Amino acid sequence: MLWVPAVVLLLGVLVTGTLAWVSHDQYRRNEQRLLGLRVRDAGALLTAALPDIQSELASAAELADATNGNVRKFTRFVAPYVGTGPGKQFVSVSLWRLADPERGPVAVTGAEPKLGSAISEASAFFARAAASAKLGVIGLLRPPGLRLGYAFATPGVTGGFVAYGESQLPADRRSAIGGTSAFAGLDYALYLGSDQRFRDLLITSQVRLPLPGPTDSVTVPFGNSALTLVMSSRVSLAGSLPQRLPWIIGIVGTLLAVGASAGARRLTERRRFAEDLASRLEVSSSENRRLYAEQRSIAQTLQHALLPDALPQVPGVQTSAQYRAGARGVEIGGDWYDVIDLGDGGLLLVVGDVSGRGLPAATTMATLRYAIHAYAAQGDPPTRILTKLSDLVSVADNHQLATVLCAVVDIERRTISITSAGHLPPLVISGGVGEYVELKAGLPVGVETGTSYTSTTISVPPGATFLAFTDGLVEHRDDLEQGLSRLRDAATCDDTGLPELVSRLMEELSYDPSPDDSVILGLRWTS
Amino acid sequence: MDQLDAATDPLLTVDIATDGAGTPIVTIAGELDIGNIDAVDTAVAPVLLTRPARLIVDVGGLRFADSSAIALWVRWAASVDEFELRNPQPLLRKVIKMMGLAEKMELDP
Repeated sequence: MLWVPAVVLLLGVLVTGTLAWVSHDQYRRNEQRLLGLRVRDAGALLTAALPDIQSELASAAELADATNGNVRKFTRFVAPYVGTGPGKQFVSVSLWRLADPERGPVAVTGAEPKLGSAISEASAFFARAAASAKLGVIGLLRPPGLRLGYAFATPGVTGGFVAYGESQLPADRRSAIGGTSAFAGLDYALYLGSDQRFRDLLITSQVRLPLPGPTDSVTVPFGNSALTLVMSSRVSLAGSLPQRLPWIIGIVGTLLAVGASAGARRLTERRRFAEDLASRLEVSSSENRRLYAEQRSIAQTLQHALLPDALPQVPGVQTSAQYRAGARGVEIGGDWYDVIDLGDGGLLLVVGDVSGRGLPAATTMATLRYAIHAYAAQGDPPTRILTKLSDLVSVADNHQLATVLCAVVDIERRTISITSAGHLPPLVISGGVGEYVELKAGLPVGVETGTSYTSTTISVPPGATFLAFTDGLVEHRDDLEQGLSRLRDAATCDDTGLPELVSRLMEELSYDPSPDDSVILGLRWTS
Repeated sequence: MDQLDAATDPLLTVDIATDGAGTPIVTIAGELDIGNIDAVDTAVAPVLLTRPARLIVDVGGLRFADSSAIALWVRWAASVDEFELRNPQPLLRKVIKMMGLAEKMELDP
């Protein structure tokens, strides 16, 4: 029976080859699927970051319209977003009159706009932007340097204004992804518009295009244009084991086949082992865990991108804030905080919570955050700001409502004027005693338009601490009263510095893995 | 009548019935959050299309509700003349009161 070992060897090699091929095919498909997921995440990140640019310009244009082109107010509102560094979106922001752009910008913050050199083009572009009622994207403005220009125009009531911003792009249009980023190991190219044309390229991580290897792409709307993101992977997304698996199977299988041809009886047993090995390695639960952890970290990164980079430093008081994603934190939440310097020793503290999760909640959150900035810059008190916010959210249309707490702090007089739209009351601590401020809360924002609000003013002793927070911190599935007294007890039990107090409260109170996200914002008089 | 039950979502049941006076009563039990809110909205939509003057929502069996659930009820309340939220658990009752929505939802004091 000389032919038996030969047939066994042939069969063994055939089976091994098939298994290795199936495993490789599976690996390839899995990689494509993982790449698709990453591209979708990156697209979501992009979509959520865009309202920032849009709301800043839209708010600036509305503000100019409401103040009939007040240059000082406009400059002060846009100043925090102009320059270089984190949170600075633009190198140049300028204000133009919609009716006669030929006369040039009314006000310029940062660098001179490149648009200024082609006035006739500007008129046509502004008219288009005004007609679309969206962010108008003029496209790439070329040398010297490379900038992307966009404008928000409002026909308005006082003749119409255009807020026009330019962002700087790296001259060679290259920027690599950092090694610690959630997107490390990926190559990307971002194009303006929905085609992947080289002249519309905004930025890429590669020297040569198109990107090597399998790619996936996503197109997201950007004002009256769009952005197209193409990505490919430099490394194996599922880790090195699945990548090597076809080789492992090939080598182990061949060895088995050779061995088996000497002892055909043991072949079945070993082949089962090889198949078992392949299937066990292929479907691993660790991949799901890893994907979950990754999604969660992307959600957190996104949320932090939408929250203030740094709180304003004002003499006489100290401020500190923390955000924590909920246990269901694979999606971003709708909680936010903000501290706005009103000038003349006044601060506006804001804590809010948009119902729901994910991109709709985050987009509404960003809209409300910037709207509050704009209304505060034009001098509206919180009672009026909250009434105006009802025009931006509607439970009937977007299925969302928001609770918002605004507190105007007069640093020198040590008074706090609090207005609540259905939000939990803040806690005031002084001399080791904590008390919740008794408030008449108005309806949450979005229930009905034209809701009126009343503010409650309290005065506090030197060294007092003010804490505002969202329900994730106190609302576990037990009693709300119990959650509130637990927060009060924890906040009054020692007297550490404010940042330590805020971190400790977040640590101690959100231990219960809270399903909801939580925000805590504190202010303390230092004298 | 209509029932959305364990077959689709093990955590949630929605029952729609009518009382003696012809008022629709929606009974929601289990856990209601952003993940299953649309299913509830879809189940109740046909009832709202009949434009009832009054709507009763019994949440006695609801163990958990997040703010999107409250947003849903506010939306329903806006489409009828009278809206009553019946038997909310103490936590839910306090949250609704704190949000200034007690009157809108006819919570008994």
